[in-house]
Amino acid sequence: MRILLTGGAGSGKSAFAESLAMTQARPLSYIAAMKPYGEEGERRITRHRRLRAGKGFATIERYADMDSLILPTGGTALLECLCNLTANEMFDDDGAEHDASHNNDAVFEKIVRGQDALAAQCSCLIQVTNEVGRDAASYGDGTLRYIQLLGRINRALAAKADAVYELVCGIPIQLKGTVV
Amino acid sequence: MILVVGGAGAGKREYVRSLGWDDSSIADGVMDDRPVIINLQDVVFSYHPERSEAADALLEPLACKAVVVCDEIGGGIIPLERHDREARDACGRLCCRLAQRAEKVVRVVCGLPIIIKGEYP
Repeated sequence: MRILLTGGAGSGKSAFAESLAMTQARPLSYIAAMKPYGEEGERRITRHRRLRAGKGFATIERYADMDSLILPTGGTALLECLCNLTANEMFDDDGAEHDASHNNDAVFEKIVRGQDALAAQCSCLIQVTNEVGRDAASYGDGTLRYIQLLGRINRALAAKADAVYELVCGIPIQLKGTVV
Repeated sequence: MILVVGGAGAGKREYVRSLGWDDSSIADGVMDDRPVIINLQDVVFSYHPERSEAADALLEPLACKAVVVCDEIGGGIIPLERHDREARDACGRLCCRLAQRAEKVVRVVCGLPIIIKGEYP
């Protein structure tokens, strides 16, 4: 089963994802795609670790290349989050884009293939993403391409998902399917 | 308490008026003793950067309001400024906790009140 969770910052995606994972097959793997940049990043990660503590997750720090990640067979994996994974696959640490052609087709295909590879090893894959397209600010071309790419990935993964939820104020709004 | 959320310009204030509240009962972005507050995000963002977590202290006073209205500001690209990032997160988390306390949570989309917690009307 594949479940996609979306929602804005602070909308309760992580808490819902964790409680959902805990109803699914063991073992539980938590795939952390966020690179620990600086003190603020460390603080975010520490907070997430604290919220996850005692829930039985084995944490795997993996910032890219999900297509070659080996998971325990038949368990549940929670990937957090696709916005970090996409940024890591699209940009290098200096913010330069890997794909000189800027169409990002290869990045798109790599990420979708990576998610397929994770799903093939799990009984349940829970993917957390974000609504990065929902503001009116003006951005540089690289950021605009990132917004388009993540939107494209979200669409592709939602099409493959058995269930899709949007979190609003911690409340899961079912957009597709249902979790059994 | 009823929690009302939605994007800017989605029709949240009109919805509050439709519940029977007039403008003299509605505080705009400030904490006072009026029964309704709108633009809660402005209160959270007004905190000093070091005090974003102080938003937690708003929970109890807000839970005593009749109606709390907040813009949904968690979408979009992660803000460049640390204060904006932290305030955005704090605002979202405060709304999650308010939603747990609320009898009803209403999300206004294109002027349509969508009840996401509690009973119609």
